[in-house]
Amino acid sequence: MTDEAKPQPTPSPAPAKAEPTPLEIGRYGKILQANGIASKRLPDSCGVETVEIDAKDLQKAAKTLRDNQEVKLNLLNCLAGVDNLETFDSVYHLWSYENTNEFVMKVSIPKTQVAEGKLPDVPSLVPIWNAANWHERESYDLVGINYVGHPYMRRILNPWDWEGHPLRRDYKQPVDALNDKNPHSMR
Amino acid sequence: MAIDTAGLTSDDLKTEEMVINMGPQHPATHGVLRLLLTLDGEYVTHVEPVIGHLHRAQEWQGQNRTWFQYQALIDRVDYLSGMFTSWALSRAAETIDECHVPERAEYMRVIVAEMNRITSHLLWLGTYLIDLGAMFGFPFYPFREREKLLDLFEAIAGQRMMFNYIRIGGVQREAPFGWFAKLKAFTEEFPDRIDEYEAIVTQNPIFLKRTKGVGILKKSVAMDYGVTGPCIRASGINMDLRRFKPYSVYPKLKFEVPVIEGDGDTWARYMCRIQEMRQSNEIIKQCLDQITGGWPEELAERRKSCNSCGKEDCANCGGDLKIMAKKQNAGLRVKAGEAFAAVESPRGTLGCYVISNGSDKAFRFKWRNPSFCNLSVLHELLVGHPIADIMAIFGSIDVILPDVDR
Repeated sequence: MTDEAKPQPTPSPAPAKAEPTPLEIGRYGKILQANGIASKRLPDSCGVETVEIDAKDLQKAAKTLRDNQEVKLNLLNCLAGVDNLETFDSVYHLWSYENTNEFVMKVSIPKTQVAEGKLPDVPSLVPIWNAANWHERESYDLVGINYVGHPYMRRILNPWDWEGHPLRRDYKQPVDALNDKNPHSMR
Repeated sequence: MAIDTAGLTSDDLKTEEMVINMGPQHPATHGVLRLLLTLDGEYVTHVEPVIGHLHRAQEWQGQNRTWFQYQALIDRVDYLSGMFTSWALSRAAETIDECHVPERAEYMRVIVAEMNRITSHLLWLGTYLIDLGAMFGFPFYPFREREKLLDLFEAIAGQRMMFNYIRIGGVQREAPFGWFAKLKAFTEEFPDRIDEYEAIVTQNPIFLKRTKGVGILKKSVAMDYGVTGPCIRASGINMDLRRFKPYSVYPKLKFEVPVIEGDGDTWARYMCRIQEMRQSNEIIKQCLDQITGGWPEELAERRKSCNSCGKEDCANCGGDLKIMAKKQNAGLRVKAGEAFAAVESPRGTLGCYVISNGSDKAFRFKWRNPSFCNLSVLHELLVGHPIADIMAIFGSIDVILPDVDR
């Protein structure tokens, strides 16, 4: 634990984000495009097509891909909130129960657009998948992303009166009264 | 009932709804699950699971520890099937790193993972029968076999539950001499033992009364909530990652995925797990026969001829005969990139989403825990059932609370 007492260097940014040349639009990007949803293709994450879409298009995109008879992405497999140093990302891994299609969708909210003391807003996917319910609560709890339209946006893993969002990069651990002799140290 | 209802209207007989707290220290909640039940008489009208009592910030710890350190911790995410959490993490790191895992290591992984699936299902079977009220006798039968497997785990990994055996790039060590023979003896006798359990349980009238038609999980509901694993195969959807998105050496092995067509009730989930144990046993048998390089005793003989040179192109100890792609050290680094890797754990799709920035620590970990997703469907199953069925239904989805809370 002693090494964690030192101020830690800021971690270098996560994987290269935008490349100078725009990437070619992929299979799922085309389906989104046909339904009037603009998407920006990102470098593939280990062979899986990854796109970034606008927050306002999120619900429509999810519904389109779920109901599309060709790809049938009807399983919301994983929903992760990420504090990406400059942005807050909400990452959706869509799978299918019927075929082996995979797709990754990201919504990115720059920290500059988030007002002081406010949480970034991302539309909730609960109207489309009930699976999103607990995942979104978890992401709210740990990363502090507010999912607009969620029926029950409360903390799920931490106690209800916990302060701060532990997986944020600027999170400070609370003073541990039990294990820490010095109540003023911020470990 | 001997109540004189003459002169009473239905309004007079109404009871008020009652909110009851169940857990977190309830013996049948398999850990610390708290359920806020709203009851109408004996029947459940609303459930709110309150989770997080076992939250250990596994994701935070992953981001603040090196890859090498974190490997030892992740068995605690799901303590009944630690091999699978290690495997998911290793697969994620190997996918990012484009690391080729030697075939012998993949076989060892499949063997220990299937053993772990059996131990996990056996523990579920024993405790589930306790949940149903079979307090005496039966629960010890599955534990008898589980104990044998745990002894084998202890011999190969040094621990009985927190193995830290599957590592990034391969497995920790070669099996000791005599280990394969013991495992083979176990696989020979195990099908008879399953027959024993089935003789006691499967057609037991009390068991059937408690489970048939109870806690029906419809396909559409299951798909909406992202349920995976035996729960969804009991609802008639054939989704087992070992066949669905094959990984490791599973394409080379012959086994069936048990899918129970029908209602998707509690009994179907029991049946699915029982059949899975038989299939896992078959998989282990095949692996013992097919493993690249043969049994450790033979391989040790072969290695004498080259004096265990450890060279990459050596026919006796290089290439696919190794158990580790590259020797690990504490400064283990993974290239920059992101990956989502999933394995089929005893409870369903166990996924690990990793963002790495090329340093010795991961930038972001996210566990996709099957128990977490399967538990979120609980209120759909419980509403309309009497209190006595709560444990029968909750037990049947095989939730493990550390896996929910991380």
